[in-house]
Parts: sequence; structure tokens; C-alpha cells
Amino acid sequence: MFVNLTKLDLKETCPLTDKGAPKLCMKALPGEGAERSCAFDGARVVLMPVTDAAHVVHGPIACAGNSWDNRGAKSSGPQLYRRGLTTDLMEMDVVYGGEKKLIQAIIDVARKHQPKAVFVYATCVSALIGDDLETACKEAQKDVSVPVIPVNAPGFMGDKNIGNRVAGEVLFRQIIGTAEPETVHPFAINFIGEYNIAGDLWGIQPSLEAIGIKLQACISGDARFDDIRTAHRAKLNVLVCSKSLTNLVKQMEQKYGIPYIEGSFYGIHDTSATLRAIAKAFGDAGLIERTEAHILQKEAETRAVIEPLKAQLSGKRAVLFTGGVKTWSMVTTLRELGIDVLAGGTQNSTPDDFLRMKALMDPTAHIIEDTSAAGFLTLIKEKSPDLIVAGGKTKYLAHKTRTPFLDINHGRSLPYAGYAGMITFANAVARTVFSPVWEKMRVAFPPEVTVNE
Amino acid sequence: MSENTTCACTSTKAAVEYLNSVEYKEKNFARKALSINPAKACQPLGALLCALGIEGCLPFVHGSQGCAAYFRNTLNRHFREPIPTVSDSMTEDSAVFGGQNNLIEGLKNAYQVYKPSMMAVFTTCMAEVIGDDLNAFINNARAAESIPKDFPIAFAQTPSFVGSHITGFDNMLKALLQSLADTRHGKWTNGRLYLVPGFDTYPGNLREYKKLVHAMGIPLTVLPDAEEAMDAPHTGEYNMYPKGTTMAELADALNASGFIFTQKFSTSGTYKFVKNVQKINTEMVTMPIGIKNTDNFLMALSEMTGKPIPAELEKERGRAVDSATDAHQYIHGKRFAMFGDPDLLLGLTGFLLEMGGIPVHIVCTNGTEAFRKELQKVLDGSPFGKEATVHTGRDLWHLRSLLMTEPVDMLLGDSHGKFDAKDANIPLVRIGFPIVDRVNMHRSPIVGYEGAINLVTMIANTFMEQTDRTCPDRFFELLR
Repeated sequence: MFVNLTKLDLKETCPLTDKGAPKLCMKALPGEGAERSCAFDGARVVLMPVTDAAHVVHGPIACAGNSWDNRGAKSSGPQLYRRGLTTDLMEMDVVYGGEKKLIQAIIDVARKHQPKAVFVYATCVSALIGDDLETACKEAQKDVSVPVIPVNAPGFMGDKNIGNRVAGEVLFRQIIGTAEPETVHPFAINFIGEYNIAGDLWGIQPSLEAIGIKLQACISGDARFDDIRTAHRAKLNVLVCSKSLTNLVKQMEQKYGIPYIEGSFYGIHDTSATLRAIAKAFGDAGLIERTEAHILQKEAETRAVIEPLKAQLSGKRAVLFTGGVKTWSMVTTLRELGIDVLAGGTQNSTPDDFLRMKALMDPTAHIIEDTSAAGFLTLIKEKSPDLIVAGGKTKYLAHKTRTPFLDINHGRSLPYAGYAGMITFANAVARTVFSPVWEKMRVAFPPEVTVNE
Repeated sequence: MSENTTCACTSTKAAVEYLNSVEYKEKNFARKALSINPAKACQPLGALLCALGIEGCLPFVHGSQGCAAYFRNTLNRHFREPIPTVSDSMTEDSAVFGGQNNLIEGLKNAYQVYKPSMMAVFTTCMAEVIGDDLNAFINNARAAESIPKDFPIAFAQTPSFVGSHITGFDNMLKALLQSLADTRHGKWTNGRLYLVPGFDTYPGNLREYKKLVHAMGIPLTVLPDAEEAMDAPHTGEYNMYPKGTTMAELADALNASGFIFTQKFSTSGTYKFVKNVQKINTEMVTMPIGIKNTDNFLMALSEMTGKPIPAELEKERGRAVDSATDAHQYIHGKRFAMFGDPDLLLGLTGFLLEMGGIPVHIVCTNGTEAFRKELQKVLDGSPFGKEATVHTGRDLWHLRSLLMTEPVDMLLGDSHGKFDAKDANIPLVRIGFPIVDRVNMHRSPIVGYEGAINLVTMIANTFMEQTDRTCPDRFFELLR
């Protein structure tokens, strides 16, 4: 049952030679910056949103202390996933090993916190001191009735991407297919790679309900452990964040014969296209009809609301730097508001994501190659964009250069997915670009004296 | 044995009631192997904050890249400022062969791309577990001409599995002095007072220290001075190396006429080095939070330098006392729980006691036995301190049990306390680090007389706001 994940071939080199193509799972350049997180973080990103599970970090304080509840994945029910659980390894544990402590911790968590499962994460330290995560989990399992699941993605394995993949392997090998649903809906789908950041999922669900699609399992936003176990009975996988879990959908296709499509729920165009693709995949005439009717109605409603904002924003120029599905989907979404992307870049994406972004952008647009802080500052200086759309680490750099900034990654507190999300997004962009603070910053003080001749 | 033997509860409501019970509290406090919602960060995060206080210094993380990203994120979110840091991104092959290649290449790239005047190198767990020899590696980097032969570098060993962020701050500061300060000239001093603020995440506090010491007419160097790194004025240009303690001031540190440490537990190693090894005239005071602690700080300055306390500071003190008098009825007799770093808790306790507030639960995840004793002394010195219990090495899940079984009126601590405060249905006044769900809390001081006024304002107004929001209509009124 337990697989040594470090032996799996999870790394690959980027097949693209294009400038600015993401260095997928490659070593970061030492000394260039500290923009990239680690495999441990990548595994946490994927599995942490399982809301009714306990997530135990087997490591020193840093790994859990700096990361507990640090992402905006929301839950409509259980809050257990937020709890920062760690073995807090100390010097003596490093010398004598931490397995006993870990076993005790797992048993303690299972007894007192009523989890549906216990995920146990390795870290650099636990891996380097030779703690055997799998054996410790097996040992603890003897005393615990819920599944104890080792997640072996210590930080030094590499980038976030690798951790995402390890998490996909864990889901596929140890969770999916371990329980059967009571009934199977004829139009049951799974979302793969939707983490319900800021409540994104809740902006998509009304559309699914309206057209008669049942969400069997969302991996893993607002997820319940038992729903994920039955994910193999869905009829279709919808890969929402393509970078992280492509391996999972491919394996599910092979083993359970579930076809998959890729899609995005950012922006009007992409939301409609994804809904259409889902309906088409089932090929049911009634479903297709309902979907078209829903799209017609929601597109008109949404366009009517954002029209005045689009009129104001039209002609503004943005720099886009993000990862995953947003890499390309945001190009379209911004254009729907009349905003051109004059420079775009990505670090944590697949080559496919990158190529899609490039294809959507204006051929004259700049592809960001130097993703360090220094590179960003040069870019801002050269292009003076009206808006930067990126993640939290770039935010204050943008502010310092008087550039309006919108957080599109996990640090945001507003949901942008689905038709409702597009309205929220349009308002957020307008609030950002037209905030009066930018003007205040640009005016010299004390005022420069103009001499009248 | 199954997990149901200790808790037969199945429904959510019963489960919550059980978590809130005295029975659960006892089990919770018997917990050894597991830490839940810990209120501490790790050594390198403290080292990073320390390094930001030296002008022109680039913090350099020797170890896993994810660690560095976490530090940046945490500091980013608290200060709402860009935080410059590089990492040498050690991966699996470095775990096998050691991190020397990463360090040499990393130093070279960082030096060329970011053009710092110096670098502060500190380690993460990974480098420490595999036993990297930093001294040798840095010498080899110089020999390989990855950086100039005379390029200033200080390095500290800061594994996360030892101590906490305050230990890392201390280790980095001591390393800066040991590697980059010139040897002390016999009896000659440079006539400057060096103030060591410790792990202090309030740029407002550093400004307050400068204002107070300046008012006394004492030439001052704050070491390290991360005020601008934590709170850079807006100019339209991003300056990666804002003002801080200059390298000249660092080089001249051991010729100081005196050192004053305004925290006792976050810089104890550096304190011993300065006082016992270097034999410099050195004072250490409780973090000057509240009126009495500020009085003691100013008296210590006065005694060290022979300068009197000027009339303008007496006036400031008078205003603080006035503010405390005006607000005493909102705080006197109220019961408090608090958590945070040792020095913060030591100072805050003094403040609460002088206002007649009753500390009940004091939780310090990174507190030592020496800290517990010192805090107990402060509590024993006041009739309002009798109800307090100091819990060192405990986390916020322990605190939750305490709040549920022995309720209080208010919680003081950083943003992480919001879950406990919500469960206990009491307000949280945000003091400490990190504060990531409110703005500007770090910009106003909590030290000095000004800080005392701010604390009175925050605490008293929160109580009044709560009354306005929750009182029955018949008690809703204009006056409070």
C-alpha cells in the first residue's frame, strides 16, 4: 500500500527552448532570489484543503510554524484542516530520531480531533535524519481507525511542482477508489486542481447546479475526505489548474476510464467555454440545451454589469505574472475588460500553459524572462504599466514603484471564478486602477514652483 | 485501542463541548509529542530581520529555497513591504554532496545581481543536519573569486530545530559583531550609545527609542536598525538598501561608550558577549512597555550617561499618566489572556498591572524557565498579578483550553490568536508578530510614553466598541 514516492520519476525537463518558458521542476539558480517555494509547500497546497482531515507536519517549527493556515482555501464546513499540527522536532529528535514522537502525535491527533484521515508530511529534516515516514505511519495505523497517509515530499526534492505531483500520486494510490458512492449521478464530474481560494468554487457551483451537473468530488477545494474516495465513479474529470495534477487525471483515465478535459472558470469566455466542453463531453442533448440557455442568460447578465467598468478600463495596459491556469486564462479575462497584457510571464506552469499564454497575447507583447526582483523593477521602469496582476511577493515591489497591483494568487480575499466572480474581478480591477492614492503618490511635495513669464 | 475510547462523542456539538471541557483541558496539557497552532517562528526568520537592519546588507539563506520563500511571505504580509532575500536553493544533490557549490555559486550570483555592500549568511535546517562548514565554504568562495577577497560577510548557524526566531536574531547579531566589528581600542570610546532593540517588529518602536534618546541629548546608534526596511517612506523608487545601521557604525560598535538592551530574552547571547567578553558599560532593561517600564528605561539611560531627563519627556510622561487616568475604569478589573514573545509579555504584563488589569493566562511558546521566573517576579509584585499562571512551551491549542475553562475578557497577541478569540467569543487586541489581518499596527509604537497611550487607546476602545455592538438597546447610549 505504501509507495516510495521519491523513487517515482516526477521530474522532467522543459521541452521548450522559448525565452521565458517555465523552468519546470528544474533547480533554481542559487542566489538569484527567493521567489520559489518548495516541494513540501506544493504537497500542502494540494492536500491541505481537505477540510475534515488532520494535516500533521513532521518537522521543525519552521515548516508548520510559518505555513499553518497561510493560504486562503475556504471550507463550508469542517475547520480541522486549518489547525497547525506539528511534531516540532527539536535538537534531541534530530540526534535520536523522531519516529516515536511522530507515531505518538498521529495517535494523539486521531483520538482527540476526530479527523476523517490523517495526512502526515515529511520535511527536509525528517528526511535527512532518516525517519521512515511510511513505517511510522504503518505503526500508528495499528492504533488508529481512520487512514493514516504519508506524504513524502521533503522541501529539497525541488520546486512546488514536484510537491503537487507527489500529492497527486498520494491521492491516486491511497485515496481515490477506496469507497463507493451510494448513488451515481449520470452527470457526475470531478474538479481537479480547484482549491477554493477565497471561495472560487462557490462562484462556479451555481452554474453546475443550473445545468444539472453533479460535482462528485472537488480535488481538493472545500473537499471532504469521503467524497475524494469516491472520485473514481465520476464520468468526467475537469482539470482546472493544469500545472499541478496532470499526472492524476492521466492515471485516472487509464485505470478507471474517466476522460478528462482542461478548463478555466476565470472570465466570461473561459467559464462559458468550460461549461460547454463539459456538456459536450457528456453529449446529452438536454444537457447541452440547458447549458446553452444558461450561458446565454449569464453572459448577458454579466456583460451588462461589467459594461460601465469596461468602458473605464478600456485601453489600460497590464503586466501579468502568475502560474497554472491563470497564466493563459487571465490574458483573456483582462481583455474582456478592455485591458491589454503588454508583458506576461510565469514560473510555476506547464509548457502547455506557457504556450497558450503566448498564443493569446499580442505578438508584440513582452515575455518576462528575468523573474527576479531586479528583473521586475527593470520591466516596470521600461513599460510603466497601468496595472500589475501577480502574486503576493510582487505586491509591495509594485506599490513602491507607484504601480497599481492586483493579487491573483492565494493571498487574495475575493473570489474571481465563474460569472459572479467575473463581476467581483472587474470591480476589484477598477478599484485598484482608479484608486486616488496613486495620484497622491505622483504629485511632488512640496509642490514644484512654476514660474510665470 | 481505538480513538473512540477517550471520546465517545459523535455529533459536532458534542465534540465541541468536549473540546471546551475541563476533562479535555487535562488531556490537552498532557500532550507531549504534538504541537498544535504553535506561536513561534524559526531561527532564520529572526536572523533575516536582524540582517535587514544593517544598511547595504543582503540577507542570504543557505539551505532549502522553500524556507526563504516562507520567511519572505511572513515578513511581507506583516510589514506590507518588499523583503529582499536570496537563497542558494539547496536540493537533493546538495543533501548528498554538501552545500558548498550552492553557496559559492549563490554568493557570486547575489553579489553580481544585487550589488550589496555586505551579506549576512544564515542557515536553514538542511545545511545544519548535513553539517556544512560555513567558515570553510565562505573562504573557498573567496579563493574561487566568487566574491572579492575582502567582501564583508557575517554568518550564523540558525537551525529551526533549536530555539525560535528570537534565538536566530541573537545568533545573527552576535555574528555581525564578531565578524565585522573592529577590535576594541583600550579605553577610548566613540562617545556613542548603542541601543539593541532585540526582535522588535515595530518600526514605530525604533522611532520612539530614537526620539527619547535624542531628547536626552545622547548620540545614538540603534543596532540593528531595521526601521526603514520595515517601513520605507514612499518615494516612487524601490530602494533595496534603505537606511539602517551603517557598516561604519557596526565596525565601530565595540568602541561604544555604552550598550543598552531593551529586551532581555531575545538578545541574551549578544548581551553576554558585549558585557562579559568585551567589558563594555552595558545595561539591560525590561522592554519599556507601560509607564513604569519606560521610567526605568529613561533612568537607566540617565545613570549610564549622567544626562538628566529633560522637561519635554516629563511632559510626555504626564500626558501618558493622564491618558491612563482617563481610561482606568475601562481596564481596571478586566481579565486578560496573552501570548507572544518573552520580552513582549514581560513588558505588557507590567503595563497591565499598572492599569489594574488582571493577567490570567500567559502563554509563551518560546519562553524558558528563566523567563517564567522573571515574569513571576513581576506578577508577585502586584496585587493584580495573583491570578496569573505563566505557561511556557505551550501553544495556542493549550491557550484555547485555558480560555474555555477559565474565561477572560480579552486576548492580547498576534493574528494567530483570532481563532481562539473567536471560539471564546472575546476580542483580540493585536500586539506582536505577525499581524496580517489589520493595517498599520506596527507603525505606531507600543514602547515609551507614547506607546503606553497607544495601548490604553487600543484596549479601552475595543472594550467600548464591544459594549456598543453587543449591549441591549436599553443600555445603548452616547456616553461610555
